[in-house]
Amino acid sequence: MADSKDFTAGVDSNAKKSPRRIVFITRRTSAQVKAETEDQTQTFPEVLFRAAVAVMTLAVVLVWISLMFNAPLEGLADPSHTPNPAKAPWYFLGLQEMLHYFPPVVAGVMVPGLVVMALIVIPYFKVNIEAEGLFLKDRQKRLRIFYVVATALSVFLLLFKVYAALVPTLIMAAVMLVAAQSSPQSPSAFRRYLAARPLSYWVMTWFLFELVVLTAIGTFFRGPGWSWVLPWQG
Amino acid sequence: MNDKLTSLWQRLFGDSVRAFGVVSLIFLASLAIAPAKNFFSEWRHYQHGYLKMVRNRSDANTLQRHFQGGIQQVWLPELGVVDRCTSCHVGLKEASLTDVPTQPFRTHPAIPHKIEQFGCTVCHRGQGAATTLTEAHNSTLAWEQPILPAKYIESACGQCHRGSLPGTPQLNQGRNLLSRDGCVHCHTVKLPDGTIMKATDDPPSLSHIADKTSREWVYAWLKDPQAYASTSTMPNFKLSDDDARDMSAFLIANSTPLAGDTATLTAKASSDPAAGASLYGESFCASCHAVQNAAGNMVGGDVGPELTRVGSKVKPEWLQAWLRNPRTYDPGTAMPHYRLNDGQVATLSGFLLAKADSDLLANVHLEAATPEQITHGKRLVSDYGCASCHEIAGIKKPENFAPELSRIGSKPVTQLVFLPGMQHTLPDYIATKIKQPRSFGQGLKMPQYTFTPAQIDSLTTALLALNDRSNTLPASLAVGATPESDYQPAGKAGKLMTDLACFSCHRINGHGGDMAPDLTWEGSSVQREWLVQFFKNPGTLRPSLIRRMPRFNLTDGEVNELTDYIMTVYQNPVIDRESMPLSGYSQGQVELGKQLFYGKYSCQGCHIVDTKTDKGYIGPTLTHVGSRLSGAWVYQWMKNPQALRPGTAEPNRAMSDEDARALTAFLISQKGAAAKEVAKK
Amino acid sequence: MAKTGMTKTMNQYFDDLRGTRVWRSIFRSGTGSSTLKRALAIQQNVFLHLFSTKVRTRMLSLSATWYLGTLTLGTFLILIATGIPLMFYYHPSAPQAYADTKDLQFVVSSGLFLRNLHRWSAHAMVFLVFAHMFKVFYRGAYRTPREFNWVIGVILLLMTLLLSYTGYLLPWDQLAYWAITVGSNIASAVPVVGEKIHFLLLGGNAVNANALLRFYVLHCMILPLTAMFFVAIHFWRIRKDGGLYSHASEPATQRANANPGVVANAKEAQ
Repeated sequence: MADSKDFTAGVDSNAKKSPRRIVFITRRTSAQVKAETEDQTQTFPEVLFRAAVAVMTLAVVLVWISLMFNAPLEGLADPSHTPNPAKAPWYFLGLQEMLHYFPPVVAGVMVPGLVVMALIVIPYFKVNIEAEGLFLKDRQKRLRIFYVVATALSVFLLLFKVYAALVPTLIMAAVMLVAAQSSPQSPSAFRRYLAARPLSYWVMTWFLFELVVLTAIGTFFRGPGWSWVLPWQG
Repeated sequence: MNDKLTSLWQRLFGDSVRAFGVVSLIFLASLAIAPAKNFFSEWRHYQHGYLKMVRNRSDANTLQRHFQGGIQQVWLPELGVVDRCTSCHVGLKEASLTDVPTQPFRTHPAIPHKIEQFGCTVCHRGQGAATTLTEAHNSTLAWEQPILPAKYIESACGQCHRGSLPGTPQLNQGRNLLSRDGCVHCHTVKLPDGTIMKATDDPPSLSHIADKTSREWVYAWLKDPQAYASTSTMPNFKLSDDDARDMSAFLIANSTPLAGDTATLTAKASSDPAAGASLYGESFCASCHAVQNAAGNMVGGDVGPELTRVGSKVKPEWLQAWLRNPRTYDPGTAMPHYRLNDGQVATLSGFLLAKADSDLLANVHLEAATPEQITHGKRLVSDYGCASCHEIAGIKKPENFAPELSRIGSKPVTQLVFLPGMQHTLPDYIATKIKQPRSFGQGLKMPQYTFTPAQIDSLTTALLALNDRSNTLPASLAVGATPESDYQPAGKAGKLMTDLACFSCHRINGHGGDMAPDLTWEGSSVQREWLVQFFKNPGTLRPSLIRRMPRFNLTDGEVNELTDYIMTVYQNPVIDRESMPLSGYSQGQVELGKQLFYGKYSCQGCHIVDTKTDKGYIGPTLTHVGSRLSGAWVYQWMKNPQALRPGTAEPNRAMSDEDARALTAFLISQKGAAAKEVAKK
Repeated sequence: MAKTGMTKTMNQYFDDLRGTRVWRSIFRSGTGSSTLKRALAIQQNVFLHLFSTKVRTRMLSLSATWYLGTLTLGTFLILIATGIPLMFYYHPSAPQAYADTKDLQFVVSSGLFLRNLHRWSAHAMVFLVFAHMFKVFYRGAYRTPREFNWVIGVILLLMTLLLSYTGYLLPWDQLAYWAITVGSNIASAVPVVGEKIHFLLLGGNAVNANALLRFYVLHCMILPLTAMFFVAIHFWRIRKDGGLYSHASEPATQRANANPGVVANAKEAQ
């Protein structure tokens, strides 16, 4: 290091910025890293073995499932005999359930398109899972907005008779109301937890809830003509 | 205990390397189960069982030599057959294994086809590709058609064989019922050869029904056809009283009188039962019509309607007009135009009108019909598709009234709705649907038929043969049926033959019924004199038959007309009358023929030449054969009976020319005491 | 302690093996178990260098990740391992494809097992990908500087769905046929170009032999290669974006946060 140019050895306390790895040390400065030091483990061999154990445990489970349950195979594909109901693979049954209520453009194109778009933009919109609890600031205003949105959504679902999606929505709204009435100092750990949940948490959880409920309904509760059946009734 | 577990856990999973080792071992062990499972497969188990069973048999060596291990299959790409059934059914081709009590090791019963030619599933259904018991035999997610129950197995023959086969009585009967009991009036059945199955029954036109019968009878009939005639093929529509009332109102109101039909009685109906019975018998009415006797048995044929209670049905005026000439009322009827004189009409009508059942209409009291009832009745008649079978003025025959059945035998079970407690298989569905069609839901139109269980099985068999395979068969495998021709004799004689409804019983050039002999080569077969006599006074040729040729009371002119036509037109080109004259055979030849008759060929097993000694009742009596048949015909018949009359029961004995000549000489010499004896009978 | 003795011996054998000329010619990192050598073992391997040489110990606990990403990779590996032998027995033509599936089930040794494992692993993978995504979201592990890796994750989610969806058709049975028909009809609903997309996807207006071939090529070639490409980037970005995510919401830090002063500091920092 013949060059005598000074470098500032910096410590940035903002954990969101890119990680600091390299420190240029000149004769006149010394490195000073204030970030908390954490225990680290060498990837080789510990992490690799742990990963291998995890993967192989899963493999053992899958092998046993495969030994005991045969993959479904039905009759030869026959375009002239439509099974009733004709079901898409299970992970699309949420979508197919929506198709039952909405026109294809809405349920088949707009909704999944919006979901994918939303998923992609999540990290760019400062959607912060560790932001403050939704109702901690501007409580009255936010509650009003919440009421309007929740009512509008429910009425919309009611108009289209989407009871399958309405019920989870109402349950979520109820839980959010509980959250709105909870304070961070509440003696109940659960209330404290609810109070601290930010908006992004609520939106994602609502989405997950709807996804699970709609997929489950499409998979287990739909029979001929997409009518409602109970899975244990043949 | 807890410490022990903890230390065990530490030992096995204490650090990641150990855990890796342990999990790897578990993983490998689990993986190893897959080939093990493969090794203990079902088919291997059965093959071991077979070898074990075979070991204790006397023919063990042969059987072991024939045995081939591993998965066996019959692969027939053009039929879409991959049958691995023989992997477990190892002994199918071993003729000695008939005594094995249970499957899968018993030998297959003898059939005309080879396993290598058709595989197994073509006939038995089931999943041929499967090598496990459940998948191969049962209805599963992957294969819906299970093994066909053995009682319907003849349906398999019907996939290729479109005509009737001597070995498939059930299939033949089923097909017959389909066309004879009117199924195909409502259900379209497109046969694999492209033709549409035609109904062979002839439901009467209802356009002039008021000429024939009363509204009360129509009402009673609609309510329960079998109460009037238990053999009736008219199904029961389970009508309510009001519906039956309105429908009868419409039918009577809709009827128009037909000229010549309601002619006043020209002869008073005679009430001489003995004379009536005698005329009824002489006319051989019973060849076509049945009457229930006191013991409850049906006596007579099933070509025409049952007459047990006919007196409660028909109006006397109509009956007489009908007996005089049935073609006035129904030009297409199968009933011959008997040339009955007024006296005979009176006797016969009196005899028939006495066949009445006062209970039948005792409880039927109908008010005069209102216009609303008639309108409602008309709607009901259209709704129930009455016009599918019957001609009704003002109502068109409905198109596609009932589901098409052309491929019913391949109908996916998933598209069927089953009754609770029913087996979920196609044959069960079809059988139950035939047995109790209305039980499948409200508002179904298919009426209740009165089939016997055997008939239901036959129908199911015939319907199961109408499947995808029968429609997609390689052309080389299809064995066509002889199609019904639309042959019509020409000229004056032709008109006469139609008038006498010859084709109701006889078949000529591929057209007509099968009750009486095929007359296609009749001109080559018989002697003219005999034919003239026969028309004037038909006797029986076959003692075992009840159904006989009736006497039509033809005039000499008519007899000549018919005889000339038959003798000139119905000639077989092979038969040369001159080659075998009716006389001039040496005594030696006759004697040789006699020896052959009783000795080498044992003809007396089926035929009678000497009424005192011979007991053959299956074939025609031959006591007068010399005055009936032409020598050339007899000779050719000896040589190859099937060539002259396909399907005849007479066996082909592959006779030498000499034998045939001698037998002909013997038979032609059997001129009997001819006509007189016949007349007595 | 016989076990330990044996392990030691095995370790010695292993060290000897790693000292051999052949081994050293294959692996660049050389012998020894020093930190450097262990780091080199990761860095100097074309596959392993996608991972960081060190991982925060906290992130190894089950609750931190539930190993969902690792398990997803595991199912992917199982799918490749079972998919290749399945390809040996499969013709992508109708209706031969169905007959081949039947043969796999009834004739091929362990063919049924292979197919089962492939099928169930595929379902497991779809499930794990979703689970992984939600876990990452709830931990907030998508934030700067990991935004792009999240986007790649979303791409991988779509790839997984496509892989599973294209594979669904291959048995050519009723289930496959109608599931694909129902699914592909949704594409027709896209305004203006819907029918074109539908046609392009199936190679025709309905699910037929063309669609089967198309789906086969996608399923066995294009999608797996693309997925591998993105998986590699996904792993590499984990390393480059600062290793497995560790943040204040995680258990260790949260314990520290119990002190209100620290919370104040953290807020200030934001």
